[in-house]
Amino acid sequence: MIRQSWWKILAVVILVYTILAGMLIPLKPGIAEVTPRALQAGTEVELTVTGYNSYYSKAKNELRAWLKLKGDVVLKAARIEVLNDRTMKLHFILPQYLPSDSKDDACSLILDSPIDGAIVLPEGIALTQDSVNLLEGKKLWSVDKMEELNAGPKLTFPYRSVLYESIRNQYFHVPLWFAMIFLFLFSVNFSIRYLRTYDPDADQRTLALNRAGFVFGLLGTVTGAIWAKYTWGAFWSWDVKQNMTAVALLIYSAYFILRGAFQDEEKKARLSAVYNIFAFAALIPLLFVIPRMTDSLHPGNGGNPAFGGEDLDNTMRMVFYPAGIGWTLLGFWVASVAYRVEKLQQRLLDA
Amino acid sequence: MNFFAQIGILLRKELVLELRMGYAISGILLYVLSTVFIVYAAFFQGVNSPMLWVTLFWIIMLFASVNAIVKSFVQENGARQLYYYGLLDPLAVIVSKMIYNISLLFFLSLLTWAAMAFIVGNKVEEFSAFLLALFLGSAGFSILFTFVAAISSKADNNSTLLAILSFPLVIPILMTLIKLSVVATGMLEDTGISKDIGILVAIDLVLAGLTLVLYPFLWRD
Amino acid sequence: MIWNRLSLVCVLTLLFQQMAFAQQASGDFLRSIGHIYVVVAVILIIFLGIVLFLIYLDRKLTKLENQIKENE
Repeated sequence: MIRQSWWKILAVVILVYTILAGMLIPLKPGIAEVTPRALQAGTEVELTVTGYNSYYSKAKNELRAWLKLKGDVVLKAARIEVLNDRTMKLHFILPQYLPSDSKDDACSLILDSPIDGAIVLPEGIALTQDSVNLLEGKKLWSVDKMEELNAGPKLTFPYRSVLYESIRNQYFHVPLWFAMIFLFLFSVNFSIRYLRTYDPDADQRTLALNRAGFVFGLLGTVTGAIWAKYTWGAFWSWDVKQNMTAVALLIYSAYFILRGAFQDEEKKARLSAVYNIFAFAALIPLLFVIPRMTDSLHPGNGGNPAFGGEDLDNTMRMVFYPAGIGWTLLGFWVASVAYRVEKLQQRLLDA
Repeated sequence: MNFFAQIGILLRKELVLELRMGYAISGILLYVLSTVFIVYAAFFQGVNSPMLWVTLFWIIMLFASVNAIVKSFVQENGARQLYYYGLLDPLAVIVSKMIYNISLLFFLSLLTWAAMAFIVGNKVEEFSAFLLALFLGSAGFSILFTFVAAISSKADNNSTLLAILSFPLVIPILMTLIKLSVVATGMLEDTGISKDIGILVAIDLVLAGLTLVLYPFLWRD
Repeated sequence: MIWNRLSLVCVLTLLFQQMAFAQQASGDFLRSIGHIYVVVAVILIIFLGIVLFLIYLDRKLTKLENQIKENE
């Protein structure tokens, strides 16, 4: 596997695809900002909408907008005034009463355009009324219907108001993690092989794989910290997964320190193989069990499987899965180079 | 001599050695008492926080365990190892050490609890849950530290290496233990307590199983 | 060898100072254009990380090559 180069070419091709697709496919149009956010029933209001990646001017006369309350109750915008591609003003004539049994309610804003598709700003706008009249409110709000929503552009990544473009980090930060896991998994495999055969070659492979895995883990932590700074607000948020990766890195640092503690090659290889297996077993609850059970800022926590649902749509999958393979192959490439250096050094030492 | 007889003899040997070298065990007792006292002086005057109580309890336990277990391989010099090697099953050696260390640590944790209760005040409300946490904790600590001590005893600079190698590994156990113990203080209503116990039992079993599988490779020199 | 390492450290420190300064000056550069520079920073870090590992291997190989030459 090491001398053959087809998989290295594959790695390069996949990574080029990942970088090109990951950077060039645009984000789905979204709503960046709406003002004002609090509306009073029985008034005529003007909402200023700032779009993201939107083309309002192109779809000028076919634009439609609704305010939507719970239970599919909608109110259509009376007039839409497009200023440019990114901004427009929506005029709503709010009825006297809301179809709600309390004085406060929240509604979402839905835009529809043949070019951008339908865009929802969920629960973003507060509504208040002076007095409650459920029946009258229901009657007043039952005039408009929402129908024939357009599908948006096909090839886009989801728009998330906290992430924005940094959703693309999914193809660069997350796969480092996969690469790390696979490298450590293979290193355990070679540790087991070493304990079976006492072949120094297996030990050199273990060492190289662990080195590469450590590099990828470190990069994953650092890139994760940067991403976290601009989405969660701090480099280190004491998130479970962050802590667990830090612990994983500590464990593998301990592995390298352990290797340094022995002079005798055979002893070094044997004891570090034993520790490597033991450490990987201790890592499993750390990486897979505990993060799943504790609340985390990462998606896919609190019992849900990761990488599903809304945060990873089909277009993202089309890039994300190859990205995982590509970065993992790159990890093995790095490991194989490290292994060959190690091997050469050993041969010189023996000579 | 069969396996269980070997374990029995080794256990008796450990106990006799422990009692004969009284300073080792009394040193650890003194360590626990003085740490609890320092912790009280530093953290607890006028403070009533079960969370802090639990965290400090387990940190004291962590260091007490390291101190208690590091000697279990240090006191065995090379000649005696060689003697065992000719005479005994390696599994009997490690199993007896694990059993001995589990009981030692369980005893130590009860003592730490008593000392904390006496000096700081008892914060535990659900005794059975906390006792279970103590047992699972001392089992996890002793299995892990015994095994890592076996590794680090092969290198020269023993106790530092033990700390470096074992502390990252002990973190998942420690975190689950702290969560379980906080529930036992009644501060947190948690329905997932059985899940935590499950995790701890699983970690303990996996570590124990691996120790049994891997120890024969450490043994030969 | 030690000078190589020292100069690398110096260059990196200068670079980071510059970056920190630029960040202060322009308010929030990384947040501009929908956080796209967060992605750029992530890719850059991965690239630099792999290059640093390459440098480490490169130096090891240089040492080995010298050893081989001496042996001959």
